[in-house]
Amino acid sequence: MLLRLDTSPTEDVGATPHGTLSIFPVIGGSFEGDRLRGKVRAGGGDWVSGRADNALELDLRVTLETDDGALIYMTLTGLRDDARQYFRTLPRFETASPKYAFLNRLLAVGIGEIRADGPVHIIEEIL
Amino acid sequence: MNTRPLMTLQVSVAPPQNVGAVPHGARRIAPIGGGVFDGPRLRGTVLPGGSADWLLLRADGVLEMDLRVTLRTDDGALISMRSFGMRHGPPDVIAAIGRGEPVDPAAYYFRTTPRFQTAHSAYVFLNRLLAVASGDRRADGPIYTIHELL
Repeated sequence: MLLRLDTSPTEDVGATPHGTLSIFPVIGGSFEGDRLRGKVRAGGGDWVSGRADNALELDLRVTLETDDGALIYMTLTGLRDDARQYFRTLPRFETASPKYAFLNRLLAVGIGEIRADGPVHIIEEIL
Repeated sequence: MNTRPLMTLQVSVAPPQNVGAVPHGARRIAPIGGGVFDGPRLRGTVLPGGSADWLLLRADGVLEMDLRVTLRTDDGALISMRSFGMRHGPPDVIAAIGRGEPVDPAAYYFRTTPRFQTAHSAYVFLNRLLAVASGDRRADGPIYTIHELL
């Protein structure tokens, strides 16, 4: 699926023992794929740590609401290294909806991209 | 998504420690007794101390895997590898794996997502990549075919 996120201004926590922490609150968004589509609920975020080697570690948590009312909790870890245009992620899903239970049983990979109107993640199931 | 081969990792599993029913499922810990890895850019052995797979069998039949192993390359670098994975399949196939019978890895889902940490300058590229792996559960332990995400 293609996931678009709307974020509010970054909360710069600063230098912590594990790196430079910035929090990107997620206030909305949308997702669209062959088997699921809907909106991103407000209340998630991406906890991004800047490492000493300049790569960024992502730790995203969002709640997805499908167009038929199911809630899907999505987490994602990722690695972003702007020096070589590398932005790859490993999403995981949890849901109680029988229709979307297939998401509980798969691993996925994603390509991230920062567009003018916000971050976008292109997510593929690992078959 | 494009990938390229990173390595094949074969580990030997010692008898599991059955922790039993925990709040999220049935927990068992499979200590790793050793192993080998081989790829175009790195090769070596698996150190037995501290290497194990923390397994959780969920109520929906999915086996969650949390593998942590220490790799030692043939030129002496230590690499810490962690990978989260999932294994599931038809009950008869999973039962055959449990009995140690040879099973076609295409008959079940066994995928993991390794991450690496190292301080050795020859291998710092591993700190900067994500990877995916396909597993093949043999009687004496799994074989992982690991690909770098490009």
